[in-house]
Amino acid sequence: MFTDELSILALYGLYVAITLVLQASGTMQQLGMGYLLSSRDEGRSASGIAARLERALWNSISAMALFAPAILILQARDGFDENSLLAAQVFLIARVVYVPAYAFGIVGLRSLAWSAGFFATIILYFLGL
Amino acid sequence: MSPELTVLALAALLQMGQYVLMSVPANMELGTRATLGPRDPAPGQPPLAERVSPRTGRLIRALDNHFEALILFTIAVVVVTLSGASSGFTAAMAWLYLAARVAYVPAYALGLSPWRSLVWLVGFAATALMLLAALV
Repeated sequence: MFTDELSILALYGLYVAITLVLQASGTMQQLGMGYLLSSRDEGRSASGIAARLERALWNSISAMALFAPAILILQARDGFDENSLLAAQVFLIARVVYVPAYAFGIVGLRSLAWSAGFFATIILYFLGL
Repeated sequence: MSPELTVLALAALLQMGQYVLMSVPANMELGTRATLGPRDPAPGQPPLAERVSPRTGRLIRALDNHFEALILFTIAVVVVTLSGASSGFTAAMAWLYLAARVAYVPAYALGLSPWRSLVWLVGFAATALMLLAALV
């Protein structure tokens, strides 16, 4: 499951989905189910860990928007090799670490994980060239 | 073209339709002077997106929500298609996703609670099942 780039992309998609569920349940605890089910016409925002999860979710989505095309380029060009696999694995591990590091406010680790994921993505683009 | 890719193209068209649905009333309410401008925050004024009517605000949030849903769905379609995991099940899930996302827009605009959330959940679950189908 961790030995091909497409599976890693699928796993990352599921991880983002799980992040979304965590964020939604945290927000639900703070703002109440009634507000979430309503049309949210007056904007209310969560705070603390739920707000961090919301920011982590948006960051994960933007990371995915960069990661997915890199994998697609490599797939289309038949460019998968051990380097691209390693970069994809580093990306997945880094992004998995990123969410709890953000949620628990671990300064340094979050930025380190973000950088690892970002550079792994950049390397994938270079491999795609 | 596989059924999943057909649905992906239709979902992207839905997204463009949602843009139009949102931007026409937003431009009418805010005036093109505001929307064509650089949208700098005016002192004492809330951001542009918060100065629209409740109905238009709902359409804006429905559009933003589909961005999130669509990026996950795109991943699911791509992974299913490229890994050769496409089946009758994944095609059905793709169509279910599209139906849910189409229903989501009026459900939000009309404030149908809790139907909007249920419809959202259907689209989300269909996407997750496609991702899982690609892995097993």
